[in-house]
Amino acid sequence: MDASSARLSLRAVALILLAAAVALRLLAPTAPEWASVLILLSAVGIGVVSLSRRATACDGAPAALQRRYTRDVLIGMGAYTVLLFVSLLLLRNVEAPVLRALIALMPVAPIALVLRAMVHFVRGVDELQQRIEFEAVCIAAALVAFAYMTAGFLQAARVIDVPASAAMLWVFPLLCGTYGIAKAVIARRYR
Amino acid sequence: MKSRVRELREACGWSQAQLGERLDVSRQTINAIETGKYDPSLPLAFRIAREFAEPIESIFLFEDVP
Repeated sequence: MDASSARLSLRAVALILLAAAVALRLLAPTAPEWASVLILLSAVGIGVVSLSRRATACDGAPAALQRRYTRDVLIGMGAYTVLLFVSLLLLRNVEAPVLRALIALMPVAPIALVLRAMVHFVRGVDELQQRIEFEAVCIAAALVAFAYMTAGFLQAARVIDVPASAAMLWVFPLLCGTYGIAKAVIARRYR
Repeated sequence: MKSRVRELREACGWSQAQLGERLDVSRQTINAIETGKYDPSLPLAFRIAREFAEPIESIFLFEDVP
């Protein structure tokens, strides 16, 4: 799979997640709203990453590394989508707290695999690409932390009222999205 | 930092991608070094010097910015 196929695959995953978010709202109206929002944000995050890959052409990465990264992300996000649905369905019928915790954590495992794939990817690229990735992660972390701190002050002053569960779930998709945008902007400097 | 990487690469008849392959870095990295947008690490600078069989200081031209 070349870089162009990798980008197409990521876009396909984003579209699948988008469809899953819509399907969840239509087919399972009793499912918690945060679930479809989370899937939607994941779709947006992957879409942004695929766009940033186009912007940088990601030619800092050898083809074999890109293939492995794309394969691992596809498998991870596919498993995540399936396990999220399974988890939501099971949670309707399970009351025992320990079991509920285990079921609720099911979608976390494939996300850990995606994180592992990201770390492998960053370790495998050359020094310029590593610098771009490093800057992008730093900027994304700073912006998301700044946004959360700002929202925290507003929440403490009772100006806004964001549910804690939603706020916690949004951290990763927000980081991914901001990282993708930051990477696209930073990579332009080195063209 | 200014460098003679483009001049030396063209003298060898290599493309950016070919030089990148020889040095195990991307074409984007070679381009950024040639345009002065990226200063390579010391190990990469030594690898470039070895590839062209030239002293490192004759390839990378340091300019002290006041």
